[in-house]
Amino acid sequence: MKALRAKLPSLAFNWWLAWLVFLGLFLAGGLTAGILVFWKGLSLTNLTDLVPWGLWITIDLSSIALSAGAFSLCAGVYLIGLKRYEPVARTATFIGLTGYSMAMLSLLLDIGRPDRFWHAMVYWNKHSLLWEVTMCVCLYLTVLLFESMPIIANFEWLRKRFPKLTEKMSQVHHYAPYLAIAGLGLSCLHQSSLGAVYGVLKARPIWYKPGLSVLFMLSAIVGGIALTLFASMLASRLTPKARINDGLIERLSHFLGWLLMAYFYWRAWDTLAMTYTYQPGRTEGLHLLTSGPLAFNFWVGEMLLGIFLPMVLLLWQKTRLNPFWRMLALLMVAGGLVAYRWDTNLSGLLVVLSYMPGELGVGYTAYKPSLIEFVAGFGVISYGLLAFSLGVRYLRVVDHRFISKVHEPVEVQAVESVTA
Amino acid sequence: MSDNKISRRDFLKITAVGAAAVAGYSSIRPAIASGPTQAGPHQWVMVIDQSKCTGCEYCTMACRAHNDVPPDISWNEVFEVGELNGQKVFLPRPCMQCAEAPCVEVCPVAASYYRSDGIVMMDYDRCIGCRYCEVACPYGARSFNWKKFDGPNPAVPEWGQPEVARRPRGVPEKCAFCYQRIDRGLAAGLKPGIDPDATPACVVACPTGARIFGDINDPESNVSKLLKSTNTYRLREDLGTSPRVYYIAADPAKMKMEVSS
Amino acid sequence: MFSKIERLLFSLMVALVFAGVTLIIAQAKAQPAPVMQATPDNCGACHSDFMHSWQDGPHGQAFSDQVFQKTWADQGKPGACLVCHTTGYDPATGTWSQDGVACISCHNPIPANHPKDPMPVDKSTDLCGTCHSDTRFNWQDWKVSAHYQRNMTCVVCHDAHSAGLKNVDTKNTASSATTDDVSALCINCHQEYAMNFSYSAHHQQGLSCVDCHLLHIEKTTDGSTAHQIPDHSFTASLTTCNTCHENQMHGPTQPSVDSSAAETTTPAQSQSNPSMQFASVTPEPQPVSPLGFAGLAGLLGLAFGMVLSPWLERAYHIVIKKDKDKEEDEHE
Repeated sequence: MKALRAKLPSLAFNWWLAWLVFLGLFLAGGLTAGILVFWKGLSLTNLTDLVPWGLWITIDLSSIALSAGAFSLCAGVYLIGLKRYEPVARTATFIGLTGYSMAMLSLLLDIGRPDRFWHAMVYWNKHSLLWEVTMCVCLYLTVLLFESMPIIANFEWLRKRFPKLTEKMSQVHHYAPYLAIAGLGLSCLHQSSLGAVYGVLKARPIWYKPGLSVLFMLSAIVGGIALTLFASMLASRLTPKARINDGLIERLSHFLGWLLMAYFYWRAWDTLAMTYTYQPGRTEGLHLLTSGPLAFNFWVGEMLLGIFLPMVLLLWQKTRLNPFWRMLALLMVAGGLVAYRWDTNLSGLLVVLSYMPGELGVGYTAYKPSLIEFVAGFGVISYGLLAFSLGVRYLRVVDHRFISKVHEPVEVQAVESVTA
Repeated sequence: MSDNKISRRDFLKITAVGAAAVAGYSSIRPAIASGPTQAGPHQWVMVIDQSKCTGCEYCTMACRAHNDVPPDISWNEVFEVGELNGQKVFLPRPCMQCAEAPCVEVCPVAASYYRSDGIVMMDYDRCIGCRYCEVACPYGARSFNWKKFDGPNPAVPEWGQPEVARRPRGVPEKCAFCYQRIDRGLAAGLKPGIDPDATPACVVACPTGARIFGDINDPESNVSKLLKSTNTYRLREDLGTSPRVYYIAADPAKMKMEVSS
Repeated sequence: MFSKIERLLFSLMVALVFAGVTLIIAQAKAQPAPVMQATPDNCGACHSDFMHSWQDGPHGQAFSDQVFQKTWADQGKPGACLVCHTTGYDPATGTWSQDGVACISCHNPIPANHPKDPMPVDKSTDLCGTCHSDTRFNWQDWKVSAHYQRNMTCVVCHDAHSAGLKNVDTKNTASSATTDDVSALCINCHQEYAMNFSYSAHHQQGLSCVDCHLLHIEKTTDGSTAHQIPDHSFTASLTTCNTCHENQMHGPTQPSVDSSAAETTTPAQSQSNPSMQFASVTPEPQPVSPLGFAGLAGLLGLAFGMVLSPWLERAYHIVIKKDKDKEEDEHE
């Protein structure tokens, strides 16, 4: 017994266990909620014919958007040639893989017939933006899998058991530029199309504009990079297994600050432009956003804490160099992205337009997620957190010392015999 | 390979394999169902005369019985839209069967599609229940099956009997102009809109004859003549959905309740 | 050993036997399947709902009903009754095909490949009239009614299967009144009267539509009430009024009812957005609770305060000029 006690891990390991247990609880809850929903149906949620898309769709949209760090950083590293950010791109790729799988999970919960989830891949409707999003997401998930293979090949247990396999997996890194091209193309397609999913609906005037695609794309890039940076910084503070090069993060945060300024301009213009004339449905939606039930989320969640404050914090050198303020700013940006998705979805659905002849009447409805929706949503989020935690611990996902073999100096390779 | 760039040969090999895979996959997946369809010989259209509608909702109940619609869903909804000279004016709203239907455009699996006779059909076996069509419909004509509909339908058999399969939980449903009655009637040589057996149940059930159904491709049909002779309107024309349901506005002269004995 | 001829003959016999047996079997199959009799039981095998509602109603029990059987027997079982109380009555032979008013009374002719071909149904008033225009019914009143003049048939109000009135209880709208009698059906179409009539003195005395508009007019024929129908002219005539107000007919002009309690103002209906008649749609958005916003902002302020506390404390000390040494201790 004493020998066992001696082998007991240090205090740090106990925190890890506690974290795992904490996540495990939410995961178990989410799993139960998911099974209940599959069994009893969507009537357990507070979704109605007037508000058919709610919390789970928001989680789905947010997961995809927050994974946008993957394609933007990989494009920056492999296509623009900013090689020094490669370690951050690695983290972003893994976060991307996690995020897209979270999106798939929440979609599986949300569609009425989860057993038919594969239909979109077999039955095509090329006119449908949602089909395009589904196909791009599936294809991009494949790209992410390939891009993540070198990361997964770092798993010590796997290296010992299947050395040849992990060797092959590491070599996928050779194709990183091509995967980056594919990833960039696919991501540009579906990140903007997610905005267009809302933007093409004439029935909902507050959504019906082409700018929604641009806003979704821009917010995704901003929020995705922010989440990657935040997760890297947080991991490095919580465990010695995660090492970051603060200089890289600081440079990227500075870039993010400028991007935030562009996003701030765009979002403010988008909101202001809606005030020019009265349009039934659109003006009432704006009213909901600015002074109705969504007002706190919009003004504080999206604008103040989501864009303005982080923009100031990241552009002002004093706070940008301070890790605490930087982390806070990055977290707020990610939160602001989620707030934006929630606002977009509900501002269109909460306003009910009549279609009777004569003046278009406007009514309002309400939506608050039910307990099952919350529990299942938290389950999906805890799955994501678990995946990232395991990645940091076992796959060196956040490790800026790690230099892949491909980038090793040429001198080393000259010793080997040259083969055809 | 010891260099960190792939050779041109390998690149070409990968591209060729990739292209072959895509081509092979495309050949085995089923053909797309959406997109502009060849217009068929018939184009069904419904006309609703608001002067004659009393809001009795016989149409809703006949539809519920003939299509096995759950009691908490109405494919056809009747709204009270106003008053004329002390008499209420009603507006029944079936699915508009739009010629440019937002629901068909947005369905990711093409479970909503145009039939050659203009009816917007639902393939309930293909639908994945994403509810995009429900969000997209400007008329609120679609209802989602949040619950499973078990047990007997209260509208049966008084208002009719089910002629189509009951939809499962997890798919949205909507009016389909009783295509099953039209198809069966045409096969038996009947005329939809004239012969009750070939006409949608709501049209047959209406006690005042407020609903008229027919083929707009036939210049001699009841609807063609009605549309040429009377002023009609459609709902939300500004959206450009081209609905196939026309309304004749309530005329106070026609709504007089007094009858000469 | 058989010779060749014998072998051939033997094979021919076997062939004949085979062919004969096959022919017998084939002919047996080629015979058309026996045509299903169009009896309620056979129709009801698929249309059980209709059969159940029919067999419990007057049409289904037209023959088997005890009152009918007794009355018919008392009168010596005349064939004239069976013309209506059975289906397919043949006066020459005194036989009939089915009891009661069976399916084929209205669903005729039956297509050969039903259900592929739709079952025809005659919903015309003439068909109902073959039985229900018996002179004892006094049905001609119906021709006075607006219903007749607007080409409404019997099946608008009557369900032919249950031989009763249509039930509108399955409607979910507010206009489906909950009355004990069939007035709900009247109000279903004549909704404008539902509102005002509820506030009238007549309604407050417990009257409904049918009490005046469908009153049984006592017609003395043979004294029996078996073949009487309510007055389908739907007009409330002087006789109807006199049923209750006879004393006021030629009496002094004193109202028997306190008129001040009658006609009151009817409440206004808010019908601003008819296509949004869901319970969950409101004309105004969800009220925003200022307290709720204040609470959320307070939480944020708390967070801000916690985060900014080191600087606030530093500023405090600078201002108060106390403990300058503590400045060095305050670092991140």
